[in-house]
Amino acid sequence: MIEKFKREWLSNPGTNIMAGIVVALALIPEAIAFSIIAGVDPMVGLYASFLIAVIISFAGGRPAMISGATGAIALLVVPLVSEYGVEYLLTATILMGVIQILLGVLKVGKLMKFIPNSVMIGFVNALAIMIFMSQIEHIFGISFDTYIYVIITLLILYILPRFLKKIPAPLIALVVLTSAYLMTGSDLRTVGDLGSIDRSLPSFLIPDVPFNWETLQIILPYSISMAIVGLVESLLTARIVDNATDTYSSKNRESRGQGIANFITGFFGGMGGCAMIGQSVINVKSGATTRLSTFTAGIFLMFLIIVLGNWVVQIPMPILAGIMVMVSIGTFDWGSFRYLQKAPRTDAFVMLITVIIVLFTSNLAIGVIAGVLFSAIFFATKISKVDIHFESLKNVNILRFEGQIFFASIDTMIAQIEFKKYDKPVQLDFSQSHLWDDSAVDAIDTIVRKFEEKGNTVYVSRLNADSRKIVKELSQLNEQHLTQ
Amino acid sequence: MYKKILLAADGSDNSFRAAEETLHFINEDTQVTILNVINPADSKEDVLHSGASESIVSKRKAKLSKITGLYASNNIPYQVHFENGVPNETVVKFANKGEHQAVFLGTRGLNGLQEMVMGSVSHKVAKRAEIPVMIVK
Repeated sequence: MIEKFKREWLSNPGTNIMAGIVVALALIPEAIAFSIIAGVDPMVGLYASFLIAVIISFAGGRPAMISGATGAIALLVVPLVSEYGVEYLLTATILMGVIQILLGVLKVGKLMKFIPNSVMIGFVNALAIMIFMSQIEHIFGISFDTYIYVIITLLILYILPRFLKKIPAPLIALVVLTSAYLMTGSDLRTVGDLGSIDRSLPSFLIPDVPFNWETLQIILPYSISMAIVGLVESLLTARIVDNATDTYSSKNRESRGQGIANFITGFFGGMGGCAMIGQSVINVKSGATTRLSTFTAGIFLMFLIIVLGNWVVQIPMPILAGIMVMVSIGTFDWGSFRYLQKAPRTDAFVMLITVIIVLFTSNLAIGVIAGVLFSAIFFATKISKVDIHFESLKNVNILRFEGQIFFASIDTMIAQIEFKKYDKPVQLDFSQSHLWDDSAVDAIDTIVRKFEEKGNTVYVSRLNADSRKIVKELSQLNEQHLTQ
Repeated sequence: MYKKILLAADGSDNSFRAAEETLHFINEDTQVTILNVINPADSKEDVLHSGASESIVSKRKAKLSKITGLYASNNIPYQVHFENGVPNETVVKFANKGEHQAVFLGTRGLNGLQEMVMGSVSHKVAKRAEIPVMIVK
């Protein structure tokens, strides 16, 4: 226990604190930009990133992973905020936390393996496209200066890291270009035009909504979507950090931790969030291995806001838009184009349909669920093909069944059989197949009965052990039908 | 002949050419350490495009199989070493541990713009390593 605490908190503290500071600097522009996407004051996202990072550093399952306000959640809640306001968002965040805690207790981490790669790739691609599209209004058709600032931001973001590794490029873009704006007074929109900054620590408050059935009806669909999307992205990120550090982490503890973090954050004026792929990779790249890095990221973020709060409202929007363009490029899975050509047709289709459904519904949760359903259907179709081989031997006709026999496969299976009077007894050979359910047993009974109706003698042979067991339990066949 | 050399390999054709080049400098008594760096920046693609964690590990090993096969067929003793980290820093750190007499690596063959954005590993290693560096084109 103490060993574990030391390993997860105290090993290599210097490197981890430095990594946390780097992440805090990179988090600020994102937290502000995600708040603006959601349509709330920047403080709602900044508080969220501070609180979620600090709470998850204790409650989460994956050391060195970074959580905070994210684009995935922000994009989900846009209609809720615009129709009902920020108080409903906070309430939805609290309920989101409750749902995630429940899912964590129910060990939903295990369910993640039912989300195939095709859906995951669709998820990140849809997220990337939506983040990009959310920035169009901040880039195009505002002013000539806006274009210039976006271009310079992108140049700084992509070229500077080659020469200057220690300080995150987004922060440099922010400082340099905000200074340039303050000196030149270019024709730009700023964060202050879209919201206000409050230089204070978050405080406990119960969201100002009527606690009744109607409120629940409004927020519940959002909370469910937020909970699902939050867990999908968090558990995907956890696997990425597992991979990058060659260590394993508890996915159930992470699910509960995400729930606890969101539950508390909602009461302190923060919007819901989850783990962040990009920030977690930055953290690990900087050498982070422990929970101390995540903790430091949260604390240092809040410290910076208290100190620099007045500055934040002066930040020109095109800088944040440029940073979001980089985030969306980093989020997109560029291996997808190769995937579309190489992966099985059905997987490629599931990936595309996931993206398309998300873009149509503006809801990542619906896309994930639809993607999982589609791939389940494809999987069932793929394995529900039973081949039947007919072989006529000297004193018996053999029908050999090859494949998985279950409710989805029996109809096409039976349709392949020609029921007529044969000159020799009919032997059904199940050595290459598996009977899975009562429908399968029922189908075997039907086949035997139909052959007998035509006046044949029928044997059921070579069932494997499991299949034999359910046939014994469920079948109406008698012993003389069954041979070895 | 070198007694102990380091080969930084990502499994690409360029790293295979570097492995072939080492054969001119070593014999059966040389110990080769094949270093493969797992870059956190590649982890997202790793996870999205290959399911279970075991299959990721076996994929990494498979990437290096051409190189290990080359040494095996030449009777050169080798060991494969995986490290997590940013490639150039990790190779430099490993080379500067003082265990090896020389480090070999291939270039990634990037064009000017790619190099500006992604950075050249071989360039960084050549600059910072304290042992002889052989960059194979």
